[in-house]
Amino acid sequence: MDASVSAGVAQRGLRGDHFAGAVLIAIAAFMAWENRVYPLGSLASPGPGSVPLMLALILGGLGLLIIARGAGSPLLNSIDWSESKRGLVLLIACGVATFALERIGYRLTMIALLVFIIGVVERKKVLPTALVAFGFAFLSYFLFATLLKVQLPRSPWGL
Amino acid sequence: MRNGFAGLALALTALAAHAQEVYPSRPITMIVPFPPGGVADITGRPTAAALEKVLKQPVTINNRPGAGGKVGNAAVANAKPDGYTIMMALSSVSVLPEADKLFEQKPAYTLDQLAPIALITADPVILVVHPSLPAKNLAELVALAKAKQGQLSFSTSGVYGALHLPVEMFLHAFKLKMRAVHSTGGGPAITMVLGGHVEMTVGGPASISSQVNAGKLRPIVGWGAKRHEAFPHVPTFKELGHDVEYYIWAGIFAPKATPEAVIKTLREATKKAVEDADFRATMARVNSPVQYLDAPEFAKYWAADAKRLAEVVKVIGKVEEQK
Amino acid sequence: MDGVFGNLMLGFSVALQPSVLAYAFAGCVIGTLVGMLPGLGPLAGISLLLPATFGLDPIVAIVLLAGVYYGAMYGGSTTSILMRIPGEAASVMTCIDGYAMTQRGRAGPALAIAAIGSFVAGTFSVVALMLLAPTLATFALRFGPPEYTALLTMGLLVLSYMSGGSMLKTLAMATVGLLLGMIGIDAMSGYTRFSYGQTELADGIGIVPVAVGLFGLSEILMTAGQAATPPAQRPTLRQLIPSADEMRLSIGPIVRGSFIGFLIGIIPGAAHIISSFVSYGIERRISAHPERFGQGAIEGVAGPESANNAAATGAFVPMLALGVPTGPITAVMLAAIMVHGIAPGPMLITEQPQLFWGFVASMYVGNVVLLVLNLPLVGLFVNLLRIPYSYLYPAILCFCVLGVYSVGNSVMDVWIMLVMGGIGYVLRKFQFDLAPVALGLVLSPMLELSVRQSLAMSGGSYRIFLERPIAIGMFGAAAVLILLALKPLVFKSKDWRSDVGLDE
Repeated sequence: MDASVSAGVAQRGLRGDHFAGAVLIAIAAFMAWENRVYPLGSLASPGPGSVPLMLALILGGLGLLIIARGAGSPLLNSIDWSESKRGLVLLIACGVATFALERIGYRLTMIALLVFIIGVVERKKVLPTALVAFGFAFLSYFLFATLLKVQLPRSPWGL
Repeated sequence: MRNGFAGLALALTALAAHAQEVYPSRPITMIVPFPPGGVADITGRPTAAALEKVLKQPVTINNRPGAGGKVGNAAVANAKPDGYTIMMALSSVSVLPEADKLFEQKPAYTLDQLAPIALITADPVILVVHPSLPAKNLAELVALAKAKQGQLSFSTSGVYGALHLPVEMFLHAFKLKMRAVHSTGGGPAITMVLGGHVEMTVGGPASISSQVNAGKLRPIVGWGAKRHEAFPHVPTFKELGHDVEYYIWAGIFAPKATPEAVIKTLREATKKAVEDADFRATMARVNSPVQYLDAPEFAKYWAADAKRLAEVVKVIGKVEEQK
Repeated sequence: MDGVFGNLMLGFSVALQPSVLAYAFAGCVIGTLVGMLPGLGPLAGISLLLPATFGLDPIVAIVLLAGVYYGAMYGGSTTSILMRIPGEAASVMTCIDGYAMTQRGRAGPALAIAAIGSFVAGTFSVVALMLLAPTLATFALRFGPPEYTALLTMGLLVLSYMSGGSMLKTLAMATVGLLLGMIGIDAMSGYTRFSYGQTELADGIGIVPVAVGLFGLSEILMTAGQAATPPAQRPTLRQLIPSADEMRLSIGPIVRGSFIGFLIGIIPGAAHIISSFVSYGIERRISAHPERFGQGAIEGVAGPESANNAAATGAFVPMLALGVPTGPITAVMLAAIMVHGIAPGPMLITEQPQLFWGFVASMYVGNVVLLVLNLPLVGLFVNLLRIPYSYLYPAILCFCVLGVYSVGNSVMDVWIMLVMGGIGYVLRKFQFDLAPVALGLVLSPMLELSVRQSLAMSGGSYRIFLERPIAIGMFGAAAVLILLALKPLVFKSKDWRSDVGLDE
């Protein structure tokens, strides 16, 4: 599906690979800068800063090469982000759940997360939503926390 | 200070959640800050097994190697102080922050983050060489090292680790230079000598005795005040007239903020566990007899040892530059 | 030879008693369950059951643990294939083609081939362990730091050269993985790098949160947002069984995977992780249709799964033959034996033949029981796909959180997973391969340590890498790979990449 996009080579504009390469170079520059506090040692006995610096240089070089050879890649604004909105909602929901996990416990968090995704995002009916949410939370808790003794957080109220 | 508050908050939440529960109500993790094969692992596993019998909960070993034990030590020092994370640490636990000071680094953990529970074993370390090395005794080894100043190499359990310090003491006393090849624990250090990649290492009796008995390693000299029972033919530095003495000890620690009642349970469990016949037999078989000390005595022992080792670190100073 | 079979019969006579078989069965069930949760691997399963074995006869104890071990190894592949969640580094490669097969409605064959491959590899490795342990173990010891450096470098290059997308992008991803591995306390010097005061980060970034995020979570983000959700599958019996074609294609990868995996597995240390990556790379390289890889090629499941299992058994060689511990799992198994009054060491096989042979026999039994147990279970697992996607993916999402949290009871790990999920999603949009990130991350600390150890051994001379035959051989192979990769850049000749519409 992505290869077909490269048919539009004739169009002008920022290419996906140009952008990706630039981001890699930025990451490399950031790592190299953050690395400045660690001693480099010598070539014969490399210090803790030497390997990260070397890797950052390699990454920067690869980023340049990707830019140099990126002319044939799809245009940046031709990349389809249509599903990203829901993806972001899911990611944020998981973030909230992660924040809640050790505060209101595993089971309550999972019920809330599942009710939100199935009920609100996917707009399913109340009964199946509740069944899946409660079923998953309690069954998985029983299986892993009770039977297999995985340590899962509980809410201050014991649930 | 933020950490302190966070820790307090965590402790309170934990308390609230488990107020009705009797400790221990779920498995306990014993962190061993080294890979398998070293003294901490060999001591930790039977200890965990014996503790299990007393506490009626699984005590699982979790190897967290790295930087001479610093990774695992720091993990326990910063763990939730609920008694479900404890550690089998070696003598290096007090040396590593000292070395950090020497290099003006922010230490990964400090000693006042840890509460001693019990001392399990303490043994002198023994220098072992690959059998192909021509040196048969200390004098020959010193002569060989003098002739090849800076050419021979030894493996360690990590910079300023439990197996690095004794070698540096030896090199310092004899004004020798050797190449230090740092690994992550006693197990890999010994494997490197077995494969002939380095000439020598040191090890506690528990980790070397089976290899020595099979003729895969040759013992040269020990660091004890007197000869080790399992190695009656191996002389000590002391009897050869050198003031070099070092013991590798293994003890149980918990995070400092662990509730008093939990520490008490752990102490009593350990006291019972070390009396376990199977446990005693296992430790005797690996030639590392139990040297149990309960928390108050262990704390004293630890303080004295930490003070002594800090002196040693000062005397030896920076080994090369800490890479 | 007579001795071998006599001893083996003795071992089997114990391991095949009905009560012992029952324990093997129980072990496999528990192991499969534990292995299915990402984050809980064989190690966790064995550690948890260890106390239960203290009261048992040593042979029974080992049979039980061997069952858990094999079950957990196999259980990991189930979630990789069905949900694209790799529970450990070794199943990262399985999830690529395994999940692609699931999407094409071939989840059943993928699971079945994984089970068969694991069985063949496990059996092959036990035979090799039984016959060649002492010889192989001596060879394994010759792997010092320089050889390790060479092996890991070669592993990285093999994957980069043979993975799906652009070589430059693959190498860039491997470098990103290596850089991620730099986070945490430096094993050599003790410096804490890039941790920004977070104590959890000082311990380094774990592979499980990264792999689950990059693969599992990014997949959900991609699929769940689409206007048309994938339809629920209704597998028929026919779709559960591998076709004759799939069987035929799997034979080669299973055999090669077993062999490579075992050889890499016997090397002391943690290098066995690269076995599944190397196997995948090789299968792709020698395949007549490399473009099928990534789209659901059965070889991409058969090879890595076999290699992974063979390596796990190979890891017992140095432990049993030399008393040299290779990793936490071997250490736990040996601890189970030690409790019964046996100390591991180089003399273990000669001094404790009944134990060694009991161990070998129980590994055979564990393998067979697992196959018998899991082939019928394939049907059960595949029927999970009948659940409509809008119910399935939220549950998978929760499963990811649960699994990653359970690795170290750390919320930080879950955060890492979420960040990696977002990054993985974006990277896939830009057509970057994700497997090299995972490989780079696991290899990074090992590679850095072995390079610096080598230099410490040689007193700072880089010639140490060129003076040792094993290292020369592997660096030579790595150089050839680089040259081969440069060829199309220089000569503009076509290789398969251009045939399938990939640049370079």
